[in-house]
Amino acid sequence: MSKTNRKSFWKSIAIFLAILGPGIITGSVDNDAGGITTYSVAGALYGNQLIWTLIPSFIVLFIVQEMNARMGIVTGKGLATLIRENAGVKVTFFIFMGLLIADIGNTTTEFAGVAGSLEVFGISKYIAVPLVGLVVWILVVKGNYTLAERIFLIFSASLLVYIVSAIMGHPDWRTIGHAIIKPQNELNGKSLTMILGIVGTTIAPWMQFYMQSSVIEKKLKISQYNYVLVDILVGCIATVTVAFFIMIACASTLHEQHITINDAKDAALALKPLAGEFASQVFAFGLFIASVFSAVILPLATAFYVSEAFGFEAGIDKKWDEAPEFYVLYTGILILAIIIILMPNAPLIGISLWTQVINAILLPVILVSMILLVNKSKLMGEYTNKPIVNVIGWITVVVLVSMSLILLVTPFL
Amino acid sequence: MTSLTTFYLSRLIGCKLFDARENVLGIILDVYVQLPMSNTDINKAQRPKIVAFYIKQGNKQLNVTLTNVQIVKFNTRYKVQCQAMTELPAELLNHTFLLKETILDKQIVDINGRKLVRVNDVRMVALSSGAFVVAADVGLEGLVRRIGIYKFLRTALHLFGAKIPSKFILWDDVEAIDFSSLNIKLNTPFTKLNTLHPSDLADIIEELGKDSKTSVFSSLDEETAADVLEELEAKEQVQIIESLSIEKAADVLEKMPADEAADLMENLEEERAQQLLKEMEPEASEEVRDLLEYPNSLVGSLMTTDILTFKETQTIADVIAYIQQQQPEMAELYTLFVVDEQNRLVGTFTMRDLLVSSLNKPLKDIMIDNPHQIHDYERLDSLSEIISKYNLLGVPVTNENEELEGMVIIDDVVDDLLGKRRTM
Repeated sequence: MSKTNRKSFWKSIAIFLAILGPGIITGSVDNDAGGITTYSVAGALYGNQLIWTLIPSFIVLFIVQEMNARMGIVTGKGLATLIRENAGVKVTFFIFMGLLIADIGNTTTEFAGVAGSLEVFGISKYIAVPLVGLVVWILVVKGNYTLAERIFLIFSASLLVYIVSAIMGHPDWRTIGHAIIKPQNELNGKSLTMILGIVGTTIAPWMQFYMQSSVIEKKLKISQYNYVLVDILVGCIATVTVAFFIMIACASTLHEQHITINDAKDAALALKPLAGEFASQVFAFGLFIASVFSAVILPLATAFYVSEAFGFEAGIDKKWDEAPEFYVLYTGILILAIIIILMPNAPLIGISLWTQVINAILLPVILVSMILLVNKSKLMGEYTNKPIVNVIGWITVVVLVSMSLILLVTPFL
Repeated sequence: MTSLTTFYLSRLIGCKLFDARENVLGIILDVYVQLPMSNTDINKAQRPKIVAFYIKQGNKQLNVTLTNVQIVKFNTRYKVQCQAMTELPAELLNHTFLLKETILDKQIVDINGRKLVRVNDVRMVALSSGAFVVAADVGLEGLVRRIGIYKFLRTALHLFGAKIPSKFILWDDVEAIDFSSLNIKLNTPFTKLNTLHPSDLADIIEELGKDSKTSVFSSLDEETAADVLEELEAKEQVQIIESLSIEKAADVLEKMPADEAADLMENLEEERAQQLLKEMEPEASEEVRDLLEYPNSLVGSLMTTDILTFKETQTIADVIAYIQQQQPEMAELYTLFVVDEQNRLVGTFTMRDLLVSSLNKPLKDIMIDNPHQIHDYERLDSLSEIISKYNLLGVPVTNENEELEGMVIIDDVVDDLLGKRRTM
C-alpha cells in the first residue's frame, strides 16, 4: 500500500466510524425481549429446523433499512412526516393508533424481559421493574442523544454474549449446516406461526421510523451512501448472528432434552442443568441488556413519531409545557407497561400474542407506504428504487400478508 | 340547504361540481390560489384568493375557472355549483399555487408562535368578491374532523363537559414553506420570516426537510443568513453550507464573525473549505485562516478577532464618533481596548465608561490599566473562571509578545460550557 493509499484507507475508516450507528443500533434494538423469546422458543421447539428463516429475514431487513436510509438522506424528512404529507390523515391515523397500541404491548414485553432476567439472578420484579423504569425515564429526559447513542453501541456489542451461551451448549455444527442448506420441516399452522413470528420480530414496524430518523439525526449525505450501506450491512449481520446463536443455544440443549418453554426466562433457567450456571447467567444477562435497551428506545420513539405525525411539538430538548403531548405519551407508555407487568396474574401471553398480531397487520401497511413513497420521483428525484428492490419489496409484502391471512383462517378450517 | 360563507378546504376536496342544471361537471381535486402581487406592506392583510379549480372529469384532469360559484352545504357534505366553466391553459396559472398540495398536512411557520406547525385544515370564506383563505387550522379539532370522528368525540366529551380544543392561525401570521412541488416564482419569498429572531429561525430551519431548508435559507438576506448560521448546530451548518453555491456561501461566511466562520470551516471537507477561503474577500479569509491554526482546546480557537482598538490619547468623543461610523456588532462592544504603537495591550474600558464620562476626557483617564488577559496558547479551562471572577463580558487575548490578538466573549464561553445543544 502506498502512502496516499494508506492515508485514504484510514480516512475511510474514520469516516465510517463517524457514520456508524443507525444501522447497527437499529439492528440490535430488533433483538429485544420479544425477539429473544421468539428465537428461544423456536430453537427449543423445532431445534435447528427453523434456522433457515434467518436468511429471508436478513434479506428483508437489509432491503427495508436501505430504503429508510435512502429516504432519510434524500428528503431529510422522517417517515411519519412523509406518510402524513403523502397518504393523508386517515391512513396516518390508522397506522399511528396501531403503532401506539402495539408499542404499549411491546414495551410491556420489554419490562417482562427485565423482570424475568433479573429473577434468574434472584431479584424480585417488584423492585427491578419500577427501578429500571425510573432509570430509563431519567436517562431519556435528562440525558442527551449523543451520549445515549454511545451507550447503545456498547449495549449492541454486549449482545454478542449469546455466542458464549451457544458454544457452552456444545452444538453439533454439522447438523446445523445441514438444516440451513436443506430445511426439512412440515408447514402447518403451528410452524407457520413460528416462521411469521421470526420474520415479524426481526422487522418490527416502529423500527422503520427509528432507522430513518437516526439517519437524519446524523445529517448524512448521499455522498456517504456507501458507508451507510456498510453500516446497515453490519447491523443486519449482527442482528441475524445474535438470533442464530440464541436459536442454537436453545436447540442444542432444550430441544435435545425435549424441554418446552414459554419465554426467554424459562430458557435461561432451563440452561442451568444442561450447560452450567454460567451459560444460564450469560443468557439472562443478554436478555436484561436487550430489554433495557429497547425499553429506552421504544416508548421514546413511539411518542416521537406519533407527535411527528399529528403535528405535536416533540423532543427531549423541549420543556414539559412546550411539548405536553409528547411527554404525556412517553411517560404514559412507560407507566402503563410497568403497571401491567406488576399486576399479579397479568395476561402476558395474551398481550404478546395480540401485540404480534397488530404488528403483523401494521407491517405490510407501512411497507406498502414506504415502497410507494420511495418510488415517488417528486420526493426522491433520481434516487427512486431500482426494479430489483421493488420486486423483493413487493414479494415481501405479498408473502407477509398471505401468511398472516393463512394464520387468521387456519383455526376455522 | 344553506349557502355557505365560511367553509373548510378539506371538505371542498372531493366534492362534486354541478352546473346550474344539476349536471355533474367533475370532482374537485384542488384549488389554485393567488397571493396578492404587491407586498409593499407586510402587515396589511393579504389573503390568498381562489383563482381557479383543479378538477377531475372522467379520467382526465383539468384546470378550470368557474363563474358564479356557490358552495352549498347539505347534511354534512358540500356541493359546488356554478353557472359556467372554462378550461384554462397552464401558463395563465403562474404566480398561483395549489392550496391542498402546498398547505394541507404540510408544515408552516407560525410567525407569532415562532415555530413550525402542521396544518390540519384550511378555513376559507366566500365573499361577493371571491373566496379567500382566512386561517390555518392547526388544532386537535381540525385533526378529528379530518379523521371523521368529530361528532362522536364531541358527543363523548360533552358528557364530561369538555370541548375539543381548536386552534387557528390567521393567514397573516403564516408563512408557507413547502413549495417543492411547484413552478411558482414567489417574487419575494418568505418575507415574513425576516421578522423572526435568528435563533428562532435557526430552530425552525433545523426541523425542515432538505429542500425546504435550502430554499428558506437561500431566501434570507446575507446579514440574517449569517446570524442564523451562527445559531445552528455544527452538523446543520455543514449541511447548509454544502447545499449553497460557493459564491453565496462565501458571501454569508464573510458576514459572520471570523471565529464563528473558522469553527464552521473546521467541520467542512478540506477541499470545500479551501474553495470558500479563496472565494471570500482576502481580508475576511485572512482572519479565518489565522484562527484555523489554533487547536480546539486552546484559547485562540474560541477568541474573536473582531475588536475595536484605540490609542490612549484619543477622547471619549473620538471613540463615540468612530463607533457611530463603524456600526459594529454588539459583541464587539463588550470590551473596548487601548493599545500602544506596537499593538501591545495597555488598557480596557467599557460602554459604561463611554456613557458616564464627559466627552473631552482622554482614554488614559478612564481605562483600566493592566487588565486581566490571557494568552492565545493557554488552555480553555481557566477562561470561565476569569470571566466569572472579574465579571467580564470579554477577556483580552494576547500573544507571547504581549500584542493584542482578540478577545474571548462571554457568549462563546457559555456555549462552550453548555456543550452541544441537546437533540433527539
